[in-house]
Amino acid sequence: MAQQVVMPKQGNSVESCIIVEWKVKLGDKVAVGDVLCSAETDKSTIDVESTAEGVVLARLFEEGADVPVMVPIAVIGEAGEKVETVAAEEPKQQEAKASEVSASVVEQAPVVAASQAIGASPRARQLSASLGIPLSAVQPTGPKGRIIERDVLSAKGQPLSPVARKQALEQGIEAPASGSGIGGRVLASDLATKPVEPAVTAPVSEEVTEIAVKGVRKVTARRMMESMHSTCQLSLHAFADARALKRLRAGFKASKPELGLQGITINDLVLFAVSRTLVQFPAFNAHFLGDKILRFAHVHLGVATDTAKGLLVPVLRNSELLSLKQLSEGTKALIGKCKAGTAQPDELTGSTFTVSNVGSFGIEAFTPVLNVPEVAILGVGTIVLKPIEDEDGDVAFVEHIGLSLTMDHQAVDGADAARFLKALMDNIASIDLLLAL
Amino acid sequence: MDSFDLIVVGSGPGGYVAAERAGALEKKVLLIEKEHLGGVCTNRGCIPTKSLLNSAKLYSHAQDGKQFGVQAQEVSFSLLDAMAWKEETIKTLRGGIEFLMKSNKVQTVFGEAQFLDAHHVQVGDTVYEGSYLIIATGSSPFVPPIPGSTLGHVLTSDGILEIKEIPSSLVVIGGGVIGIEFASFFSMIGTKVTVIEMMSEILPMMDGEFAKLMRRELKEVDFHLGCKVEEITPDSVLYTDAKGEKKSIAASMVLMSVGRKPNIQGLEKLGLDIGRQGVVVNDRMQTNLATVYAIGDVNGRSLLAHSASRMAEVAVSNIFGSKTMRMRYQAIPWAVYGNPESAGCGITEAEAAKLGIPVRSRTVQMRANGRFLAEHGKKGAGLVKVICHAQTGAIVGVHLLGPYSSEMIWGASALIEAELRVQDVKEIVFPHPSVSELIKDACFQLDHTL
Repeated sequence: MAQQVVMPKQGNSVESCIIVEWKVKLGDKVAVGDVLCSAETDKSTIDVESTAEGVVLARLFEEGADVPVMVPIAVIGEAGEKVETVAAEEPKQQEAKASEVSASVVEQAPVVAASQAIGASPRARQLSASLGIPLSAVQPTGPKGRIIERDVLSAKGQPLSPVARKQALEQGIEAPASGSGIGGRVLASDLATKPVEPAVTAPVSEEVTEIAVKGVRKVTARRMMESMHSTCQLSLHAFADARALKRLRAGFKASKPELGLQGITINDLVLFAVSRTLVQFPAFNAHFLGDKILRFAHVHLGVATDTAKGLLVPVLRNSELLSLKQLSEGTKALIGKCKAGTAQPDELTGSTFTVSNVGSFGIEAFTPVLNVPEVAILGVGTIVLKPIEDEDGDVAFVEHIGLSLTMDHQAVDGADAARFLKALMDNIASIDLLLAL
Repeated sequence: MDSFDLIVVGSGPGGYVAAERAGALEKKVLLIEKEHLGGVCTNRGCIPTKSLLNSAKLYSHAQDGKQFGVQAQEVSFSLLDAMAWKEETIKTLRGGIEFLMKSNKVQTVFGEAQFLDAHHVQVGDTVYEGSYLIIATGSSPFVPPIPGSTLGHVLTSDGILEIKEIPSSLVVIGGGVIGIEFASFFSMIGTKVTVIEMMSEILPMMDGEFAKLMRRELKEVDFHLGCKVEEITPDSVLYTDAKGEKKSIAASMVLMSVGRKPNIQGLEKLGLDIGRQGVVVNDRMQTNLATVYAIGDVNGRSLLAHSASRMAEVAVSNIFGSKTMRMRYQAIPWAVYGNPESAGCGITEAEAAKLGIPVRSRTVQMRANGRFLAEHGKKGAGLVKVICHAQTGAIVGVHLLGPYSSEMIWGASALIEAELRVQDVKEIVFPHPSVSELIKDACFQLDHTL
């Protein structure tokens, strides 16, 4: 009996995964636990393992497809078994399974939803979900009766003239959201014509590489826009005396290897200061949810991390309880996983405050974008020399580290933010004392 | 100084519609008119000619009623009564526009507007200030410098609407819409009419086949095509014919209808970009000055009242509204209200060939239609032509010649605007019996599949 393997659930926040690469071909023999494909979640790459034993009868999505979790991606059965048979027997299976008390997660996969999902492209499904248009109400015009994005758009009311619709379909041109006809109706002339093959004598054309916005880039794009749209962001810039930081860092570096302190960085020290300062300012260790503000007892620090795939924010839980050494090691481990693409979804969610450090690039100050629904984010800049006048009126050049605090003015006020930033500056300036507490 | 959100200069179908629409959006609007509300359209164009043509058609039908069982005796035409009816119509419509302006709280000032700069217009001694300015000053008949063109019996469309007596003979110089409508009118009321046209055919926007039929149906009118008028004398018009021979026609009255020129005098101080056609505008009706718009005949883009009204809406939309509207010219219908009527929308086959658009077309005779046959008989002349894109089937042109053409043509505009295809039109239900069914018939001739 053929069985379907579904896209597994990845934590609570992951709604869909992109199939990056199929590891099996049709006809391959697989055992339970064999990797069928690698898939990209919002923030990391996972291996999807087979939950059935047999021969791969069907791969239901192409590489690059964005598949909602719990939707079947492959059919495993006996060699020669027809996939259509599987579909025909689905209702029966469902009935049989309904009577089983100990149904596993995989077996609970909604079979009806699955068959619908196959009839629509991922983009169409996403759009229909975001617009609230049921796929059953959409007239498919895609190949083999598949629902594609423009079908959902036209169900939404985007008026395509009959000529434009036919032309878009035949030439595979994506129709714009609105055109030059009556009431924004899209006419054939509004469709971008397919690029003509350049003639041999054509002048050198500008080279443009098209990159699909998906995976981490897509999530980042959405989250950043969400942040800018839903919050009232205000940034404060300051410089904290960095002499203590530098002194400590030099000390750790020169310490005995067996102490395991050599790897503690300036950033670790700043994170440490942030975790301790936030305890004093619970208003900044919070989420703003519109009608309510959640303040957290523990500081779950998000650490903005630059990876080959883009920006990831692993979360260092209960950071205010960690020693500097624990904090440093924990951060390193998380960053390592992010760079390797093996961070688990739950390690990438749930932060209460985020720190983003671009000091290594020589940036002095910037305006970090809030990691919503967090109330604030700290940007850490490079260390620069600032002229400081001492009590005797002498001017000395003192090392200072740039701090940029962006806060959501919906949740806190400018003076609150100034007080928090001042306290953080003081804590950083006397980080050695803070460590003793 | 009185200050306004919008100053509109000219109250024709462009200007008054702009004022009305902006007023409806609760903007403070000033409308300046030098003569009568309604402009040329209401006072010296569309409306008075339709009034006179209707009188002439009634006269003509009364004479032809015998075959339909109606016998009228001692039928006569009174130009004075026809003119009085025309005046009554004009006055009523002017009153209607005045009411529209009041109900939309548009302030109206009568007098010649002097444009001081992009935000100031003076009328008499008063200077008005406006955030935006819409120029809707229209156009005037163009009188070419032909010897004799200033003689008293040489009239333009303005003067000929004021005549007191029916001329015995009329030479119409220029076979465009205005010339043909007056030719039709005067020929119906007994004037000997001759049309002299410089081009090889009358009505340049009309399909060639239709123009030929139109000439044939204007039975009492003589046409001289490809001819150049050389001189007008007090009793004749001298011209060179297509073969280069010099000829003359006797004329007790001459109508000069060779075209219209934009009313751009007085705009000099504004520093507007003015081209050969008129004030240069973009597809939002905006001039080179960001807050100054020009609509209607003065921009020369489409010299039709309904184009002006649409331009008004586009302009106001871009000033105070959604800012998304753009002027589209591909589906503006035209109509010639002679006897017979004709109308068209979209392109002709000749234009398609020039534009390199592959097209297919079918022409159907109006006498194949039940209602037309009942009202005009087997010998009645009328044509319907539907032109579609050869590949996509999209309707690109509809041409009509015969009764109700002007009332049917809006449907063709809708088809073209919506980019509907022949196969789509075939699914529309047309009322029966109506002449409009012929559009559907032509579509089935283009594509009989179901």
